[in-house]
Amino acid sequence: MSLDTNDIATDVRERGPLSAIADTQVLPAQWRVHLGLITSVLVMASPLLLAFVMSTQTVPEVYDITDISVGTDGLANYAEVFTRYGMASYMFNSLVMSIVVTVAKIAVSLLAAVALVFYDFRFKNAIFFLILFTLMFPVPVRIVPLYEMMAALGWTNTLLALTGPYVASATAVFLLRQHFMSIPDSLVESAKVDGVGPLRFLWKVLIPMSRGMISGLSVITFIYAWNQYLWPLIVVSDQSKQVVQVGMKYLQSVGNAGQTDWGLIMAGAVLTLLPPLLALIVFRGPLLETFGLSE
Amino acid sequence: MGVHENTYDSSLGAYLLLLPTLAAIIAFLYYPSLQTLRFSFFQTFLFGQNTRFVGLTNFTDLLGSQVYLTSVGLTMAFAVIVVIGSLAVGLLVAFLLYEVSDGKAAYLIAAIWPYALPTAVAGTVLLFLAHPSVGIYTHYLEAWFGIELDWFTVGWQGFAVVTVAAIWKQVGYNVIFMLAALNNVPESLNEACRLDGIETWRRLVRVYLPLMSPTLVFLVVINTIYAFFGSFALIDLMTQGGPTNATNLMIYQLYRDAFQFNNLGLASAQSVILFVLVAGLTFVQLRVSDRYAHY
Repeated sequence: MSLDTNDIATDVRERGPLSAIADTQVLPAQWRVHLGLITSVLVMASPLLLAFVMSTQTVPEVYDITDISVGTDGLANYAEVFTRYGMASYMFNSLVMSIVVTVAKIAVSLLAAVALVFYDFRFKNAIFFLILFTLMFPVPVRIVPLYEMMAALGWTNTLLALTGPYVASATAVFLLRQHFMSIPDSLVESAKVDGVGPLRFLWKVLIPMSRGMISGLSVITFIYAWNQYLWPLIVVSDQSKQVVQVGMKYLQSVGNAGQTDWGLIMAGAVLTLLPPLLALIVFRGPLLETFGLSE
Repeated sequence: MGVHENTYDSSLGAYLLLLPTLAAIIAFLYYPSLQTLRFSFFQTFLFGQNTRFVGLTNFTDLLGSQVYLTSVGLTMAFAVIVVIGSLAVGLLVAFLLYEVSDGKAAYLIAAIWPYALPTAVAGTVLLFLAHPSVGIYTHYLEAWFGIELDWFTVGWQGFAVVTVAAIWKQVGYNVIFMLAALNNVPESLNEACRLDGIETWRRLVRVYLPLMSPTLVFLVVINTIYAFFGSFALIDLMTQGGPTNATNLMIYQLYRDAFQFNNLGLASAQSVILFVLVAGLTFVQLRVSDRYAHY
């Protein structure tokens, strides 16, 4: 009995797409998918895994290049980088900066989004466009006058200079506006009938309804603020006020007798990565949803 | 236009709600951006103490400078490689994630975590692991392929290392958006492909890629901006523009002219050129996509 391809096709159509024949024929065998994923995941993670291993090694162990066993230094590098090389203060400064930027950006953008969605006023489209168009002006495009402005205001080395330029956000206003527009009419109507003012409406109705979007935006903003490098490098010159990204640059010069203490530097790198990585892992649900991807 | 725009009818209220955002974008975005344009027509000397109007001299100086033109060319090459590289790797990983049936959630986190990776950490970790004398990657590459690597002195090698670091950091972001786009492919279309026995790679190229084109255009724009502006920390921590200017990206040249040599006028002219280049590229990319992308 011969079974040509037409027969199989007919057979599949009759039995539905999940038939075993269709799967083996067309789907890539799952083991190949797993192999591909494991390989790419390992390639992407390997620098960090190695950095972590090396961060537990003493200087001689690090300089024994092929030694990738967990070192005998344990967490001593971490303790040292924290207490002797200013890591504690860098991380604290970064944390303050990131939290202030996140809270301020979300608060300010919520107000703007309420105005853009629940009000009708002159120049509304022009103002919305003006906000969106700021996407074309990243820090490097305005860095010289921005720095001059901070110097003139006496803001250099302060939290104001670190956070001020990050408060306005085209992305946050845009996403919150989209989100508010999708709220059902009935809810908005009842607020109108009850004569609830805009701020109360925002606090009592909109924010509770937008928890997912707000947490997603918060994680995005926190990671973005934590990872800033160029602007803090320029506007902060006092090491005790510096953020952790630029602290990495200071760490590079740590060493004895011409031997850079790479174990210590890797400990610093791992610590610098931890907060945004934890934020991503803990809040992956709302984060992915904000990007239009649910698990 | 808006769905809820008649909920509140006080224009004054709307302007008050918009005030914080508008104040911030005017003070920190539009005003300094215009100032950049103004500064670019001036020359600063005596460490910024004195300025003189020089018309377009800064621009003609830049366009006549071999160092600057080389930097523009390098930046273009860097952008093309980073955009293509991070999109290609991102697409591969996203497609594998889309195809896998077990363990999707775990793979997803393992694939997108570089979204949280600070550029300074990526730079520092690779600076050590690929270090010409103590780096483990360099050690094995030399041992396996019998080659001599020294990216601290060989230009193209320095360029390659920085490019790899930039791609590594950007993959997570691309995977998130590409997977979201893949998830929007109608299930019926998938079944049709399976029934017709279309093989995996052809399905990706012929069916999914055209459907993903709006996302791909968005990602090309975002990745281009990232390549132009986001790689500063890599250069500053890994190569300082060297060896012999082989990684002297435009953003790094700008930083040096502004904050190491105090040529504020010349640096502002570079900001203007960067803005024009990126805005122009964005415009071209959007125009091209209008013609070819399937919206």
